[in-house]
Amino acid sequence: MSNTIQEEFGRKGRPITDVDAQEITRIEELSYDLRIFEVMSREVFSLSSKQTMRDVIDLLRIRRISGAPVVDDGELVGVISTEDLMRALTQNDLESPIRKYMAVNVITVKSYEPVVKALETFTRTNIGRLPVTNENDELVGMITKGDITRGVLVAIRKDYKEEEIRRYRVRHLFEDITSDRTSLTLRYKIKPRDFVNGGQASSHIKRAMLRLGATAQLARQCGIAVYEAEMNLIIHTTNGGILRVQIEPHRILMQTTDDGPGIPDVNKALQPGWSTAPQEARSMGFGAGMGLVNIKSCVDKMEIFSGAGKGTRLMMEIHLRPNEKFMASTEGTQKPGI
Amino acid sequence: MTLQEIIAKLNLTVLTTPRDFSTVTPQGGYASDLLSCVMAGAQPDNVWVTLQAHMNVVAVAALREVAAVIITENAQPEPDVIAKANDQNVTLLSTSAPSYEVVGRLWEMGIR
Amino acid sequence: MKLSEIIKHVQGKVLNPDVLIDYEIIGGCGADLMSDVLAVVKPGAVLLTGLCNVQVVRTAQMADVRAIVFLRGKQPTREMIDLATQENIPLISSRKGMFELCGRLYCAGLHSFETNMNGTHE
Repeated sequence: MSNTIQEEFGRKGRPITDVDAQEITRIEELSYDLRIFEVMSREVFSLSSKQTMRDVIDLLRIRRISGAPVVDDGELVGVISTEDLMRALTQNDLESPIRKYMAVNVITVKSYEPVVKALETFTRTNIGRLPVTNENDELVGMITKGDITRGVLVAIRKDYKEEEIRRYRVRHLFEDITSDRTSLTLRYKIKPRDFVNGGQASSHIKRAMLRLGATAQLARQCGIAVYEAEMNLIIHTTNGGILRVQIEPHRILMQTTDDGPGIPDVNKALQPGWSTAPQEARSMGFGAGMGLVNIKSCVDKMEIFSGAGKGTRLMMEIHLRPNEKFMASTEGTQKPGI
Repeated sequence: MTLQEIIAKLNLTVLTTPRDFSTVTPQGGYASDLLSCVMAGAQPDNVWVTLQAHMNVVAVAALREVAAVIITENAQPEPDVIAKANDQNVTLLSTSAPSYEVVGRLWEMGIR
Repeated sequence: MKLSEIIKHVQGKVLNPDVLIDYEIIGGCGADLMSDVLAVVKPGAVLLTGLCNVQVVRTAQMADVRAIVFLRGKQPTREMIDLATQENIPLISSRKGMFELCGRLYCAGLHSFETNMNGTHE
């Protein structure tokens, strides 16, 4: 193989992958979920309208900000920015009160509104910092685009951490549980002739295996085996059946059971190419008589119990090799002190 | 390119009774495992590549008058399928290679 | 071979551009029977198939097929496209047939990615 995908994209400028798309969606979601009070700066440097423009210079310089709200007796009466300051400077009028230069039509956002509201206001008005007021129109903070970015990043980091913890917990599921024999059972009811949903259970099983930390190869083997078994239930059974997967630290047991019509000659059914599948199954690409053959090649042990007019039980078993033991087996690895 | 050369180059096993393959010159090829597609799409004198090995393959091959059927992945037709093919003058060839590779090599040899 | 090159070779159209990840495709597999695909395909292949139903996508998911090319202009349903998108499997539609596409990709250097049934490779 020449280059990895990452290298390739690193060179050419990277199209948006599904992972990116997922993250973008999450940011969008967050801009609705997060409230302004969660991300705003609460430390507000305000001035009174009676103070002079010289006071404005001092405040903006010391606090390294580009504007400040003007508050008289607890009420927000205006905002003063560097632009207003420039006007005062050009008129050599620094001793005048702020009242003379401040903007009075103050655009504010409410602390309980979602962050997206502030973003919209930034875009609409081209203002970089907005005073935030509460239900009683009292000034409670200021918000800038930087505050929003920081807030979103913190929220995403929290998300990520939670996901990490969740993954860790799942993978070490069996480590934290002490019993003589621990197993996890997944059980699915499969309907007959349900070709459209065929494979859904197997798909869930494969995903669960990967989530539990199974190797790609193991998940694939199990996936293929249960998929063929699931399709057999859909194609052949009268009333459908049950697909059950039992995950244990040392093995995976997969089993389908149904109540008929049964296989008259099991040995014949095991021959490659032997099939009784109807046209409908063949048109779906199944029923070519390879299902059981495929299953056999994916598992360590396969057994079928059936007969004409009886139900069928198909047992499949995969023994896990030491490097495949994915749920951190407790067997033989007793933690010290227990 | 004659069928004889194809058989030699791809190292194919002749399942039906051999005849003079040096006089057969396949015109193009067709690959599908869906018999309905073959019925609709295969042209006379095509080489048909499939991994299906059951009785209906012979019926479709005879109907479309294909030059030969190459059965891939070592799929083994039952003796009665081979008998039927002989009866219908259908040539069945076999290989352990997968369809993708067989088609690729035919294409490389100029069968298009 | 990059998926983008394969799309060019098969003169294909991507049906779910959302998952157009430029995968490295390590081999090809042409089959219409899904059991066959499950039996022989190795992980990381592109699947060329004339079959067009939801089981093709499921099969690809189970067998770790990287991308699917539907032949002869077959159009997958919305349901199939959604499922494939969810599973990160690019779906490509081509007007060409199996024979031509296997031929073209093979000659372009994309080799077979099916296990030879007698276990040997030439």
